[in-house]
Amino acid sequence: MKTYLILAWRNCWRNRRRTWITISAIAFAVLLSILMQSLNRGSHDLLVENMARYSTGYLQIRDVRFEDDPSPDNAFEYGDAIEKEVLAMHPDVRMVIPRIQTFMLAADDEGTKGALVMGVDPEREQVLNGLMDQLVEGRFFSWKDGGSGNDGGSVNDGSSGIEPSEAVVSAGLAERMELAPGDTLALIGQGRFGMSASGLFVVSGIVKLPVVEMDRQTVYLSLPQARYLLSAEEHVTSLLLLPRHKRDTDDIAQTVRTKLAGTELTVATWEELMPDLLEFIKFDMAGSYVLSIILYVVIGFGFFGTVLTLTLERRREFGVLLSVGLKRRLLSLIIFLETLMVSVTGVLIGWLLTTGVLLYFVQNPIQLTGDLAESIMDYGWEPILPVSLDPGMFLSQGLIVFFLAVGISLYPMAKIARLKIIEASRS
Amino acid sequence: MNKKKEVIRTESVSKVYNPDTIPVHALREVSVRFDEGEFTSIVGPSGSGKTTLLNMIGGLDEPSSGQVFVHGQEITAMSDRERVAFRLEHIGFVFQYFNLIPVFTARENVSFVMFLQHRPEREIRERAEQLLVEMGLEEKMDSRPAEMSGGEQQRVAVARALASRPSFILADEPTANLDTVSAMNLLDMMARMNREEGVTFIFSTHDQRVIDRARRVIRMVDGAVESDEFREG
Ligand SMILES: Nc1ncnc2c1ncn2[C@@H]1O[C@H](COP(=O)(O)OP(=O)(O)O)[C@@H](O)[C@H]1O
Ligand SMILES: [Mg+2]
Repeated sequence: MKTYLILAWRNCWRNRRRTWITISAIAFAVLLSILMQSLNRGSHDLLVENMARYSTGYLQIRDVRFEDDPSPDNAFEYGDAIEKEVLAMHPDVRMVIPRIQTFMLAADDEGTKGALVMGVDPEREQVLNGLMDQLVEGRFFSWKDGGSGNDGGSVNDGSSGIEPSEAVVSAGLAERMELAPGDTLALIGQGRFGMSASGLFVVSGIVKLPVVEMDRQTVYLSLPQARYLLSAEEHVTSLLLLPRHKRDTDDIAQTVRTKLAGTELTVATWEELMPDLLEFIKFDMAGSYVLSIILYVVIGFGFFGTVLTLTLERRREFGVLLSVGLKRRLLSLIIFLETLMVSVTGVLIGWLLTTGVLLYFVQNPIQLTGDLAESIMDYGWEPILPVSLDPGMFLSQGLIVFFLAVGISLYPMAKIARLKIIEASRS
Repeated sequence: MNKKKEVIRTESVSKVYNPDTIPVHALREVSVRFDEGEFTSIVGPSGSGKTTLLNMIGGLDEPSSGQVFVHGQEITAMSDRERVAFRLEHIGFVFQYFNLIPVFTARENVSFVMFLQHRPEREIRERAEQLLVEMGLEEKMDSRPAEMSGGEQQRVAVARALASRPSFILADEPTANLDTVSAMNLLDMMARMNREEGVTFIFSTHDQRVIDRARRVIRMVDGAVESDEFREG
């Protein structure tokens, strides 16, 4: 075998220039394909990650009816006892994060806007998504602001003049409503079971949320205040479970689902909670796959052309080798090894280049500016191009080239199988 | 003169190329026998069927009719696969040009056939060196074909043909691309191997100086044997 490997390897370098051109083409295809995928995946991953962290959580417990009717009516009771119970369900549940949320109208002197009101525990949110670090202006309400719940802090619709509670408003909403810290904001909507819910809140801070849809319309209240506002003092609409590792998600979901069987609660994973987004991502990836395929077809034809010429040029040589007693099967093997070696070299160089480029991008993220950044932000992306380093991409491109090489080798192999020695040695 | 051992025998071998379109009768009923230790030249004008006859004997092509026997075995009845194995064991080839694997050194080229025969590594190494020395190529052992003259390349080809210890060596116009000195030098080597090791050589040529060196001359015209004369070497 060693002799055949040596022979094949040296044959690869008989025409250095041609071989280098082929290798470069393959390396280039691998580089471009992985890069394309990496940028795509990177932004998808980030999008999904942000969605999970700010909106759905990796997995959440909620009332079975909440999906069809996400109103405070379908909130469920939550307290220390349940928290303990849930934490005990699976060892990989790091913590639970309660939220109560609903859509309300946000009003100030200028007018009204729809708002997603989220009652949260900022300390716990911080662990999941670093919410407090997203502050761009002002300060966060402290847990204690609303910790006493219904008394003192919040202002129910009827009463007035008592010092108002605080709200943290997303930057998009603040901009649309021209809010700044210190401004007052009224929230009007419906609480549990038809109770009217309204309250005045002083904007204490403004947060920039990386999910554009949320940044446009979110108002954070402290959990007790939101509960009070919605007449749901004992309730939450969702209980997010924070897994120790993202990969534990499905495992936890399975266990928790079993444990919740028979209750009115259910658990849903981030994948189940954002089906539209995942569908969109699939569609978006298809585009880069098509480009990648086109690239490989072009390069495949180039490679095939080279192998074709090479096969014709070496007919006589093949004839001589066969006449001295080399079996056709072994000659085919040598030619296959040659194709494979060129491909593997190309892939390795492609991988190396790609790794270099990706590592560079990790260190120096591509920051987008201008119109492009605007339109990307409209889609819910941040205006940077994050990259993915998923080794699966490298492997799949390597496999594609491998199969390409196998496919291309079929031609000389077929030729060798049918080569007539005397005709080959006459040419 | 005692009876010599038969190596090759052809029985009414004919070859027609393109039988369906414009038939070319390359060989017409050729019956000829070669014995062990011969140093035979097949001569004749271009197109007279020399290459075709050598191809038939070497099992590189199949006759349209007739049989070829090597050591009494009918190679014309063998399958392609059997013939490959048979060639490897029994027949050495030297072609007119482009005999060698260009990416292999002289040593590697000579070793390669022995490698195909699964000879022990030590034997391969020693025999390759010994043959190359005998061919006067000790200086060129680690040169690649591109770094050698035509004559040197043909001597490597002869060494390679000898390496597999074949029953006979077929050489199709081995000197055609060589200058006189190289051609004579190659013939000297071949003759010496024939004399000293008893290797049977059958070579085609239309070079008179080469013909003069042969001990048997088979003259072909138009695909048929016109004359067959033995001479004192
Ligand atoms: N593969 C082939 N197809 C058609 N004709 C061929 C083929 N090989 C040889 N011939 C013809 O057969 C005849 C004998 O050729 P060849 O044996 O090569 O002669 P020589 O070697 O004596 O020059 C020539 O007329 C040649 O054109
Ligand atoms: Mg000829």
